[in-house]
Amino acid sequence: MPRSAWKGPFFVAIPGLKQALTQNIPVRTNARACTVIPSFVGLKFQIHNGKDYVPITVTDEMVGHKLGEFAPTRKRFSYRQTKNK
Amino acid sequence: MLHLLGVNLPDQKLVQYALPFFYGIGQKTSVKILASLSIHKTAKVAELSESQINQLSTLLSDMKIESDLRKQIRANILHHRSIGSYVGRRHAMGLPVRGQKTKNNALTARRLNGRWLRGEKREYSTDNSNRLAYPKPDSPFAALFNRKWF
Repeated sequence: MPRSAWKGPFFVAIPGLKQALTQNIPVRTNARACTVIPSFVGLKFQIHNGKDYVPITVTDEMVGHKLGEFAPTRKRFSYRQTKNK
Repeated sequence: MLHLLGVNLPDQKLVQYALPFFYGIGQKTSVKILASLSIHKTAKVAELSESQINQLSTLLSDMKIESDLRKQIRANILHHRSIGSYVGRRHAMGLPVRGQKTKNNALTARRLNGRWLRGEKREYSTDNSNRLAYPKPDSPFAALFNRKWF
């Protein structure tokens, strides 16, 4: 079920948003549940995936999605012959 | 056979069960269409009058079915793929998109996911140029195909 419209999108206020936009500073955030709102377009994010901060640049099409969708949390399984490698 | 909007409906079938021959029409929609055109549920395709067929085809041409629907689905998936979201990534890998388990099988996803990105189903295409196992270097999917996902 979608979120009620009257609540509006969920987003976290990002400190220094204007400064980040003008000076092109990546914003480091753990707020994966934060919705991408139109004012984020063009901004660089570093989104936490549980281990690292994944760099992404927000484009027009990403508006309405959550930040966490762009930072995968799982590594693909790759077989290794020996454990100590 | 009644040829309607590029789909052959068999004469001997009930209209209710012939309409789901269209991609995008199921039992439920079929029953609704019959009700809106006041066609009886026991009517067979062969028994439809000329005016009923006309009504049916005008109604169906306004609906999003067949290739229009396929195009829309494809566009929706390509949107996810192009922005690099989790959904798009799962489609590209041919794995379940909505958090289903993948310890065993995940057969439906393996069968269905990713085919939109790989191109149309082979039975439908008539020209041989599309039958490469990999996208041509100038196609928009070549970049997706050659990319390392992780």
